[in-house]
Amino acid sequence: MISVKKVNNRPLNFLERIYLPEIARGVAVTTRHFFANLFNPKKIMTVQYPEQASPLPGNANLRTRHRLKLRADGSPKCVACFMCQTACPAYCIHIEAAEYPDNAVEKYPAVFDIDLSRCVMCGMCVEACPEDAIAMDTREIPGGAEKRSEMLLTKEDLLRNLPGEPSLLGASNRLANEYLEGKK
Amino acid sequence: MTGFFNAHQDLLIFSGAAALKVLVFMGGVMSFAALLTLAERKVSALMQDRVGPNRAAVFGFAFNGLFQPIADAIKMIFKEDFVPARAEKLLFTLAPAFALLPIMVLFAFIPFGDHVMVYGYRVDLQIAELPLGLFFVLALSGLAIYGTFLAGWASKNNFALLGALRGTAQMVSYEVALGLTLVGLLMIYGSAGLQDMVRAQGALLFGFVPAWGIVYQPFAFILFLTAAIAENKRTPFDLVEGESEIIGYFMEYSSMRFAAFMFAEFVEIILISMLAATLFFGGWQVPYLYDSGFILPGGKALALNHYLVAALQVGAFTVKTVFFSWALLIIRWTLPRFRFDQLMALCWKGLLPLALLNILITGAVLLALGKL
Repeated sequence: MISVKKVNNRPLNFLERIYLPEIARGVAVTTRHFFANLFNPKKIMTVQYPEQASPLPGNANLRTRHRLKLRADGSPKCVACFMCQTACPAYCIHIEAAEYPDNAVEKYPAVFDIDLSRCVMCGMCVEACPEDAIAMDTREIPGGAEKRSEMLLTKEDLLRNLPGEPSLLGASNRLANEYLEGKK
Repeated sequence: MTGFFNAHQDLLIFSGAAALKVLVFMGGVMSFAALLTLAERKVSALMQDRVGPNRAAVFGFAFNGLFQPIADAIKMIFKEDFVPARAEKLLFTLAPAFALLPIMVLFAFIPFGDHVMVYGYRVDLQIAELPLGLFFVLALSGLAIYGTFLAGWASKNNFALLGALRGTAQMVSYEVALGLTLVGLLMIYGSAGLQDMVRAQGALLFGFVPAWGIVYQPFAFILFLTAAIAENKRTPFDLVEGESEIIGYFMEYSSMRFAAFMFAEFVEIILISMLAATLFFGGWQVPYLYDSGFILPGGKALALNHYLVAALQVGAFTVKTVFFSWALLIIRWTLPRFRFDQLMALCWKGLLPLALLNILITGAVLLALGKL
């Protein structure tokens, strides 16, 4: 049963019908805002986004910039199984596998690139990963860039933090790089 | 050669002064129109608690968006200048000029100051002094309809044609009301020359009130402003062409031809502001400022240099123009849009009878005072 709400608008009185006093009232409101913002621009809520960012809500379930997780010994969890690359609907992941010199069972990613300019932030790679190695929990929202090459996340970017944007998760990942450096 | 200069000295100086006035005044108007495109966005942004354009930068200096008009112009120039295959090529090309030109010509009749004496020569601060200036202004602003209609018709697009029909109907209707609102002023000042009307507004009423048009004809001012905004085709009367949702007469236009229509709109804002200032707010008159300086009603006098007086008058005219342009922007961003039937009803059932009533009352009062 659709409920019908009948609105009884009161008829306009004379002053409202000639429209001019109402125009004056409206203009007064807009003018007040104009001068308030002209003399106190700091009060405008606009955030100049790529330069400034408002903090993300603490408990929000967000899909943000990817990272590659680490094992307890500091090696990357990724075993270069290509599951995420296969699942990716935007074809933005590029993996090249390599073998550890001292481990005949597992592979590791020699190249792990995510092209953020193609990524649709859908999280399918995270769903597909059998090793729980990739996550999208850095709470860094990828912004725009002036060059396409700047939108390319390499393995180092995924294991490290983006330059100038320290985060605990990213900083801890520096260990993984050091581990890999030690293997060479 | 010297003989030629001596023989035609007056003519040469007159032509030189006229050319200089055209360059300076029109240059000022054009730059102000370009700034208005930015002001429109900035004013609307500040009214709506936003920031507005602030990114266009030259060498890293944005100056809060001051370079936006330049960026817009560069973008417009480099856009594809598209002409529909079935369009009427000649008229399609001419229509933007028809929209822009009559409005630009009108600035020649606006007095932006009294006069300056330069080396004994009197230079009137008005490009062309015409005894019937006001009628010429109305006639030429009527010509601007051609721009609207030709644009819609020559694009051979049904929606553009409908937009042009709406626009023509609106402009023709409000042309009538616009003309009639000004008849009262003609009766009071007894002249149709804009400079004469401004000079007449320098008088004092009851010894202390400046005899500006708004004092004599406050009602006509409201009618004039309403009709002028409608003539300008901007909100609340922008159903000819509502940028975001209503397909208008220049929908087939792109690149600088489109820019010409938009620019004409902004130039018309300046024109309306200048006309409102000239007709109703004393033009270049500063209250109590005369050729010799300030003479206050109490009898106190402050002598001023001739050039300072001229500068003050031009400055006053500029301030009034800028104020009205700002007010028009505020009105444009405050009011919701009329429906087409409401628009026509407002003109024919509202403005027109009221304008006629205004003429009747003005005439009756003038007759009673024995001034007619």
